[in-house]
Amino acid sequence: MIVAERKPFDEIAAATSGFRKVLVAACGTCVAVCLTGGEKEAGILAAQLDMAATLGDREQVFSVGCVERQCDREFLEELGPQIAEADAVISMACGAGIQFLAEAYPDTPVLSGVNTTFIGVNEDVGVWTERCRSCRDCVLSITGGVCPIALCPKGMLNGPCGGADQGKCETDRERDCAWSVIYRRLENTGRLANLEEVIEARDHRDLLPGRQVHPAYQRRYSAHE
Amino acid sequence: MSKFSDALAGGKFVLTVEMDPPRGTALGDMYALAKGLSAKVDAVVVSDNRGAVARMSPVLAAHHLIKHTGAEVILTLTCRDRNRLALTSEMLAAAAGGVQNLLLVSGDFVTLGDQPGTRPVYDLDSVQALVLASLLAQGRDFSGELAEPAAFFLGASLPVATDPPGLAGIKFSKKLKAGAGYFMTQPVSGAADLDALAKLPMAADTKIIAGLELGADQEAGPLLELAKELKGGGKAAGVHLACPEAPQRLTELVDKLS
Repeated sequence: MIVAERKPFDEIAAATSGFRKVLVAACGTCVAVCLTGGEKEAGILAAQLDMAATLGDREQVFSVGCVERQCDREFLEELGPQIAEADAVISMACGAGIQFLAEAYPDTPVLSGVNTTFIGVNEDVGVWTERCRSCRDCVLSITGGVCPIALCPKGMLNGPCGGADQGKCETDRERDCAWSVIYRRLENTGRLANLEEVIEARDHRDLLPGRQVHPAYQRRYSAHE
Repeated sequence: MSKFSDALAGGKFVLTVEMDPPRGTALGDMYALAKGLSAKVDAVVVSDNRGAVARMSPVLAAHHLIKHTGAEVILTLTCRDRNRLALTSEMLAAAAGGVQNLLLVSGDFVTLGDQPGTRPVYDLDSVQALVLASLLAQGRDFSGELAEPAAFFLGASLPVATDPPGLAGIKFSKKLKAGAGYFMTQPVSGAADLDALAKLPMAADTKIIAGLELGADQEAGPLLELAKELKGGGKAAGVHLACPEAPQRLTELVDKLS
């Protein structure tokens, strides 16, 4: 899932300073699971903002709305009546959701309430760790299901860098070197031969903005329609 | 090909030293140090933003060192600060500037440096950078033909303490396959540090130079003893001396070893 962390309160409060009626829009999927931008967290933020406004003698009103997903147009439509009443919206969704909300309601200023951090997993109670950089050229079949792009700070594709020491990363001696984990996983499954070939330089066109159309819909969205 | 490669090929136990380009614009100190050392060492390794701290371009520094001191230079290029286009252009510039030896490394990560918020590049990894350099020697890059080839004696780094131990072999053989003609190890503190590498099957016919590093206030004695032990021991093809905090001490070290 997509993981995010809430922006510092002062930054959010400063961004809302010019608006009287502000809607805090929660998202019920990824950011709710990582306890950052769900309905509960949106309620807490609205209450905090409300208190700060009272203490600061500002006439501001904060309300809360929540949809299942802000990255889907049909769910965003549900926010229409609440947004019509608001001078601005703080979106608690990931960066994709924030943008889709802003696109759906282009006449209303949309502010971000979170910093989107990574695609990751729920490793333990309250702990999320990054696993994927959505690079569009997955090497996990070769690397034993361990991603050297996401887990190695240098994205080394052909083995560890010289900074690895006793299986730990040069950037953090508490962090396992991704290549040590890869090696052990492949050794364990009898696939060390996977590491014999040099992996070629990557195609970094993954840095261009992405677009994906399901094959069944190619004709509908084709430029030649 | 280069004087340095000839020395290694001839079975000489080589001695190299590391120099950082200035964190400024004046090359005088580097010239002075290199002039005193160049006759006694087999090569001067010019570092590339060592420790992820910005310094003068090592390509220009290497060129001037060659021109003004006649030193045999090994130019370090990292993958940290340059994409494949920039690596190609720096290699071409290096060849035009008289550099004959390269050391291609991934480079210390930016968070270890003084500007940890720097965007790291790593478009290529160190193996792929060797592949690129090998292509330049054939007169082409990843895309197509070049007007002239740029051939270098190619070097790579080797970790000495991987866990699991087999991991070192993976990188070692890929780098050999990609064109590395010699290897420099991470700094070692004893001859035993080289044992794991020496046991790898590909180590037998490979020139491995042991890295030795001295702190500014550290006694030189143990390092000199280790260098002498390595010279007689057959585990390394040479030693590489670095004293990054006090490079002037290299003169004293080299005098005692040459």
